[in-house]
Amino acid sequence: MAEAKIPVDLILSKLAEDAEKTQERAQKAKDVLLSELDTAIATTPYEVLYQEDRVKLKHYYPVLPKSKLMKTPLLVVYALINRETMLDLQPGRSIVQNFLNDGIDLYMIDWGYPTRKDKFLTIDDHVNGYMDNIVDFICRQHSLPKINLMGICMGGSFSVMYSALHPEKIKNLVTTVTPTNFDTDQGLLHIWMKNVDADRMVKTFGNMPGDIMNLGFLLLNPARLMIDKYVGFLENIDNKTFVENFVRMEKWIFDSPDVPGETFRQFITDCYQKNLLIQSKMELGGRRVDLKKITMPLINFYGQYDHLVPPAACELLTSKVGSKDTQDICLQTGHIGIYVSSKFQKEFAPKIAGWLREREHAEPRRRAKKTSSGPKPVKKSVAKTGSVPVS
Amino acid sequence: MNEKEKESFDPKPVLENWMKAATDFWGPVMDMWSAASGKTDTSTKQEGSRAKKNLESALRSWKAMSSAMSEPEAGKSILEGIQTLPEIVLKMTQTGWDSYLKLQQQWYERLSRIGQSTEAYRFDNLDQDAVSVWREIYEKEFRQLLFMPQLGLTRSYQERANKAMDNFNLFQAAIAEFLQLLYLPMEKSTQVMQEKVAEMADEGQLPENPKVYYQMWIKILEGHYMTLLKSPEYTNKMDRTLGAFENFVASKNEILQDFLQTLPVPTDKDMDELYQEIYLLKKRMREHEKNHEMETSRQ
Repeated sequence: MAEAKIPVDLILSKLAEDAEKTQERAQKAKDVLLSELDTAIATTPYEVLYQEDRVKLKHYYPVLPKSKLMKTPLLVVYALINRETMLDLQPGRSIVQNFLNDGIDLYMIDWGYPTRKDKFLTIDDHVNGYMDNIVDFICRQHSLPKINLMGICMGGSFSVMYSALHPEKIKNLVTTVTPTNFDTDQGLLHIWMKNVDADRMVKTFGNMPGDIMNLGFLLLNPARLMIDKYVGFLENIDNKTFVENFVRMEKWIFDSPDVPGETFRQFITDCYQKNLLIQSKMELGGRRVDLKKITMPLINFYGQYDHLVPPAACELLTSKVGSKDTQDICLQTGHIGIYVSSKFQKEFAPKIAGWLREREHAEPRRRAKKTSSGPKPVKKSVAKTGSVPVS
Repeated sequence: MNEKEKESFDPKPVLENWMKAATDFWGPVMDMWSAASGKTDTSTKQEGSRAKKNLESALRSWKAMSSAMSEPEAGKSILEGIQTLPEIVLKMTQTGWDSYLKLQQQWYERLSRIGQSTEAYRFDNLDQDAVSVWREIYEKEFRQLLFMPQLGLTRSYQERANKAMDNFNLFQAAIAEFLQLLYLPMEKSTQVMQEKVAEMADEGQLPENPKVYYQMWIKILEGHYMTLLKSPEYTNKMDRTLGAFENFVASKNEILQDFLQTLPVPTDKDMDELYQEIYLLKKRMREHEKNHEMETSRQ
């Protein structure tokens, strides 16, 4: 009989053991939750050097002497979804600190919290307005004609657009988990966005509410993000360090500014639905975003297991730009893991710093390769072969 | 008053007496007024004379009417009229009652159609059907009531309120269907889990650690969600729910606009127009600034 094979006694004794542990854990959890927790995020010191409307430019205080700093500063452009604080979640787990330790003179755009008055702002206003003014400002500060630019996710798409429209101001371009090819069914977002009525959404909400977007992101994997994550939290609730890190992450995830309505509308229709960017057909302020005009060195990072911006959305870029110095790096992690996982932080930031340092004084080199890192290297063919830069 | 008393009551003498008393009173009053007014100078008191003429005319009409009504024939016809009054009232009540019954019948018919919308003894998909059946019933039978033409001064306000109510109902139906769909993987995972546990039990490989069961379940659940979330059914349902929510928010905002208009504050529409103007002005100003900077740097 099947019943005879079920080790009911063992299961029950294990359950009883677990119940005891749970009771102990609950006792400790009370102490942890009621104690003073260090859950502050984005604590690396910086100064705001420039502000236009809601948009601020952060400049992080260098930790190395000026002689050891790279001459060309790096401007990091985060997405309009969630906040740039993800790059500086906690001491010891901070891309910002790693960059500073590697001698990068670091600037970062804080897009702020759009309000109703920002609903008319388009992608053109963000790219050719705010970004261009900020780049000009940094160039003036350093008396340089060009700076390095790094974009993250949607901020990466903005950086690609900017570099195509203002190639004379960008020395090196770093794109990380950056969607440029939207015609793929690999990611759920790409499937869902095909049918979204962006016009009606913008008409109804004005700006796209951050909470609605966050709900959408949670629905991308409800089992893990709405159940398993909190089961994990309960299992470690007596661990102060775990709780502090968990709360930091929660703070960041649910800190979601609204996205300006017109920008949202254009990103959905022009990118997700018409896939104009990768075809060099997108227009900003009446000017075509021609990817062939991206002639500066380009390094393109993406995550093999990224469920938001899958590899198929990222990897076409290097084959479409005009630059001959391009590199794809596929990391064996997800969308956020690239920035917050201790393992990938060790290789991600130093890799960028090293890549930038190599190009600090050198003229653009002719190189085309695609690499992959992590426990399971992905076999990739050489992506770029003999495209002609357009100046 | 019993039936006998009712039958024996004759209103004729009462009416005659009242008519006579009224004529006896108003007749001399009119004579006195005429005599008094004859002594006044009509040319100097125009207003007074007009009022007097009106009163005289009214009194004369009353006198004529009361005299006519004092005639036995007239009294008889009036009394007959009074006696037919209950019949008129009865007829009016009858008509009203008939209309009410007809309306009630229509409601019964409407309710019976609700029964036709749902299949009797259809229990195979009871919980899944319940939500969609409610939406169907609402859309077929109740929704039209909210779109009956509204009349009068508050017509447009009432229309907007009804529209918001309709959109709220549609949103409730859509979200219920959406949540139900979202719950399906839970149901299926539990089912698969039971089968797996039975299989393992048959093979004598049941894990002792309860955590292993949870890990198995969450993995199965994740798999089911991945399948569901990629399906066109899910995408359609999600779009529909989102659309219903947007419609509800939009119609709720329209009502809020109505309220805001009664307060001494700018409405959303006012603010949007203002923000757009500021946005365009700022944009133009920045362009001019940039052009100016470029020109001065050239010089």
